[in-house]
Amino acid sequence: MGSAQTGSVTAREIGLKSCSSCGRLQKIDNDSPCRWCGATVLLRRPMSVQRTWAFLLVGMIAYIPANILPIMITDSYEGLREDTILSGVFSLIGTEDYFVAVVVFVASICVPVGKFLIIVLLAISLQFEWDMSEHTRHRLHAVTEFIGRWSMIDVFVVAVLAALIQLGAIMTITPGIGVNAFAVSVLFTMLAASSLDPRMLWETQNACNATDRGESATT
Amino acid sequence: MTFTSSNQEVSFDNMVACPGCDLLHHRRALALGEYAQCERCNDVIQTCKSHTVDRSLAATLAGLVLLLLSLFTPFLSLSRAGIESSISVLDAVQSLWNSQMRWLGLATLALIVLLPLGRLVLMAYVLLRLRLRRKVRQSMRLAFRWAVKLEPWAMADIFMVGVVVSLVKISTLAKLSVGIAFWALLALVGVSWLINSTLCKDTIWARLRQDQ
Repeated sequence: MGSAQTGSVTAREIGLKSCSSCGRLQKIDNDSPCRWCGATVLLRRPMSVQRTWAFLLVGMIAYIPANILPIMITDSYEGLREDTILSGVFSLIGTEDYFVAVVVFVASICVPVGKFLIIVLLAISLQFEWDMSEHTRHRLHAVTEFIGRWSMIDVFVVAVLAALIQLGAIMTITPGIGVNAFAVSVLFTMLAASSLDPRMLWETQNACNATDRGESATT
Repeated sequence: MTFTSSNQEVSFDNMVACPGCDLLHHRRALALGEYAQCERCNDVIQTCKSHTVDRSLAATLAGLVLLLLSLFTPFLSLSRAGIESSISVLDAVQSLWNSQMRWLGLATLALIVLLPLGRLVLMAYVLLRLRLRRKVRQSMRLAFRWAVKLEPWAMADIFMVGVVVSLVKISTLAKLSVGIAFWALLALVGVSWLINSTLCKDTIWARLRQDQ
């Protein structure tokens, strides 16, 4: 192992795995906890693609009732009004709060749907070993990890409004059942993104073969 | 490349693999304030932030004070036609609990109170003992691991955006005023950002590691 190898080979290719919490390297076949921090050192996140699919499916299925069922029920002297995510956006446009309408639309519609599409794309490209630019995949993965949390905005909006607007006969707001489904969708999509191991996005078919050779050479 | 060998195992401590793409690099001696990026994917692979224990500890303790303050002071209040309604952060959680949405209430409580609080307590424990130069314990490593892991699940910042959206939605309905807890939580968002930007995981692990 010469110094020329660093910067051109991966840890896996020379038989090493790195600790996900402190970064210390140890041999792939060494199953003992990390010598620095005591964490279990895994070569890759276990069953990465399967777990990603499982969490993602829950997230996508839950997103359907999240959009169909009301997330907020307003009971006022004007009568009972049930709002879905989309009708909430439209009522914000109706009151000319365009900026907030855009924030809610982006957080509740664009971000979740964008995340579904990106994770599906990444998972398919891994599953079927698509020939796709590693740099593109890496950037897409970074985007999903960053934006995922922000979809929770609508859940918190409903929680705050329901707590605040308890004005008896004038107006009372209660959370609708759809907000449950929406929260489930967001949380499971976050889990899906975090089960996808970014390092696998760099391991094309050729690289995996090289890994096998590397492992057999070092053991 | 020289490997320092111990009794059982060869050590590779002079190398570091990129967490984003696994590419192997030499561990470099960084000057204060420098960081090293991966040659291939540009992820940060090494950091060396100055006064990380002092600065992160200061921000963590400030965060604890702000979070506790935000729990026990009024958050928002609204008045219309003589009816006043004032809520705390915990009331927002309770409204979900009372509307037969127990799980969502618990999840919200966890995301905006328990996880941020847990993260701050774990950080304070680790950083305070490091600051006071107490003996490094195994529990400190566990605590620091979890403090880092919890980061994306602590959603006080997102909650605040949600609050601002709510305020806009009802601004036409009633007269609104924000309480101490509102400003405390807003400050907490800033403080959390300070913790993330001053915390140097490499430096902390170098002081926590158990093989020295």
